[in-house]
Amino acid sequence: MPEKNIDFGRFGARGIKGSDAVARKLDELAGGIATPVTAKRGWMARLHYLTKSTQTLKAAQDAGLTVTHRTLKAWLEGKRRPSKTSLERIDQAYRTVRRHNVARHLLRRLNRDGRGTRVEIHPLNQSQVPQQLQRVVEYRTMNVRRWDRIVGSWAAGDHQGLDAAWQDTIVDLGSQWGQYEYVTNVGFAA
Amino acid sequence: MSDFDAIDSLLDAVGPQAELPPCHVRRELRERARLSKAQVARALGVSPSTLSGWESGRDPTGEIRTKYAYLLDGLNAKLATETETETETETETETETETETETETETAPAAEQPVTSGTAATVTPLSSPDLGQDEDGDDVELLVAPEPCVLCGHPAGQRVAGFAQHLTPADCRPTATGAPAAPPAGQPTAHTSKAPLRTTRPARATERSKGPARHTFQETSGPVDLIREAVQGALAEHRGDVDAATAALVKRAIPDAMRLLDETRKGARYDVIAHPWIPDILKKQTARGADQIWEARPKWTRHELPPGRHQVTALDINGAYLSALKTHLPLGQLEHSTGLAHDRRRSGVHLITPPEWEHEAVLPNPIGQRDEPGPLWVTEPTLRLLLRLSGPKHQLCEPPQIHESYTSGATENLLEKFRIALKEARDTAIEQGDRVTLEYVKAMYSKFVSTMGESNYNRELYRPDWMHLIRSQAFANLWLKALKAHDAGLAVVRAMGTDELHVIGDWRRVFAEGRAVTEVKVKDTYTAGTDDAEHEGEGE
Repeated sequence: MPEKNIDFGRFGARGIKGSDAVARKLDELAGGIATPVTAKRGWMARLHYLTKSTQTLKAAQDAGLTVTHRTLKAWLEGKRRPSKTSLERIDQAYRTVRRHNVARHLLRRLNRDGRGTRVEIHPLNQSQVPQQLQRVVEYRTMNVRRWDRIVGSWAAGDHQGLDAAWQDTIVDLGSQWGQYEYVTNVGFAA
Repeated sequence: MSDFDAIDSLLDAVGPQAELPPCHVRRELRERARLSKAQVARALGVSPSTLSGWESGRDPTGEIRTKYAYLLDGLNAKLATETETETETETETETETETETETETETAPAAEQPVTSGTAATVTPLSSPDLGQDEDGDDVELLVAPEPCVLCGHPAGQRVAGFAQHLTPADCRPTATGAPAAPPAGQPTAHTSKAPLRTTRPARATERSKGPARHTFQETSGPVDLIREAVQGALAEHRGDVDAATAALVKRAIPDAMRLLDETRKGARYDVIAHPWIPDILKKQTARGADQIWEARPKWTRHELPPGRHQVTALDINGAYLSALKTHLPLGQLEHSTGLAHDRRRSGVHLITPPEWEHEAVLPNPIGQRDEPGPLWVTEPTLRLLLRLSGPKHQLCEPPQIHESYTSGATENLLEKFRIALKEARDTAIEQGDRVTLEYVKAMYSKFVSTMGESNYNRELYRPDWMHLIRSQAFANLWLKALKAHDAGLAVVRAMGTDELHVIGDWRRVFAEGRAVTEVKVKDTYTAGTDDAEHEGEGE
């Protein structure tokens, strides 16, 4: 697509991909366990979440928590402590399962029976760009009615899918949508 | 050549001017056509005041005069034909009723007369072409079976634009009881049961069709109406149970406040930006922790009272947070800057080194009870207060040193309409002794302020900066009240929280007593001792 940025940041503009901002916001809305996984309280809580039922355990195993029941039992009883790599895996599995579980509810709230959610798009930061190269990029808002693809790919951890879905959404901003490929923030409530 | 063309066109233009009726006739024509000045002025491309000039003695000239004459001419012609048709139809119906009373013809059944014959069973109305052509817009159908008139409820023989009604106001008599008249016995029930349900809608429809003039000065439902409607709805829902209605209203105060905010921002210059990027200093460090902003909450008690026993009055500032909604709020995303002087047109949070405060004995420190020294992040109202106190008028301290700022272009009017709507609702509620509205308004503004930051109870608005600014504004307002009391010769004993001010002396000559937001009310009075610095609170 011709509007896409080829070498973003070459002249000093700063920002993140719009889809990343959306993922960040969705993570924020999904909430979850705040204590870091490195603390015992944190990984314990995550393990309890992942072993609450056979289905979640299955989902956790699918998400990469491939340890034996023996190990899990030892962890949960506090006899052993997960290694650093295991902690990472636990965190990863927790995030995947949590996203998957929350996605359904989040999607319903964002779609709001077809009324959609108002999204604010805050443009990229041009403060470090030379004066003559700065462009007027305005703050924009839009109503996004269909979140299915966005939330779906977010829940699946599919970055490229989310990027594509978000791009198809911001095309509705009009011919200048390329200016909003990179943003400082994307804000919406659910 | 071209010179002569121009002269020719000028010569053409000079000619007899269009004839205009006298001024009062112009006005009368417009009013009879139910057109507003604004409408006519828009059509002619002039301002409404110009039009009023034309209607009160002045005359337009040139091309616009021709246009105006054309309009008046058209109105004149149209009104003349309308009056003719009106009189025609009136006479016609009169004759019809006359003939009808004499001989029962089936073309036009009497409006009042119930038809009990077998012909009434046919529900489908017969359209009569002769009547339909008389009226130029509406299609009038003659009904074989009279239906209840949508205006008065009595059986009517005609249907206009799909609704049964009488054609003349003489026939159409609204029932005194208000209940729709009982349908005639012989009428099909399926047909009559529908009629009362439809009575409200057609009434509105006829009102709407009265002309475009109705729209121009139509009263829009304002934000105050929104509050009143919510209260009335809740009271109706709980059948007048005040406590239950209050509880229900308080429960939905946050979404209602957001709706009110949206309503008050309609057609406004600035958007309410609800989810900007937030700098780290405004983010909570932990889930239950605080961010780094110092709101300058006063918590000050005078160390030594003036000698002698004193009557101390604890004053309560009414609606402190409501008044604090008027503050300089940053509109967009906060931008970082270092080492700049204060810009009055911007607002936000600032890292400052506060000045020394030397009046601790008589007045609280404007930055509140801060234990640790060094620079701190304060908000705009605190900074403005410090700058004001360091200014030539007061000279109470040195100006603060600003190191860093996160600011954005600001306006004081962002929540102004919102505040005024709430204030008006509050004032009327106090006047009428309406406890429900009072509680509802109070819940709305206080919860709006406390949840506009990172709260899960209000996810529509994510502005921790505004929350801090509004709170600080409330504290700064209290501080200024303390200063006012001090300057008027009262001894300020204590300044606490958002709305508590204890003073010694005749405070009534400084503050007005009452319940309005500009007034104060007495919370408590107690005497404070002389012997020791601690005052023994009797009423505390």
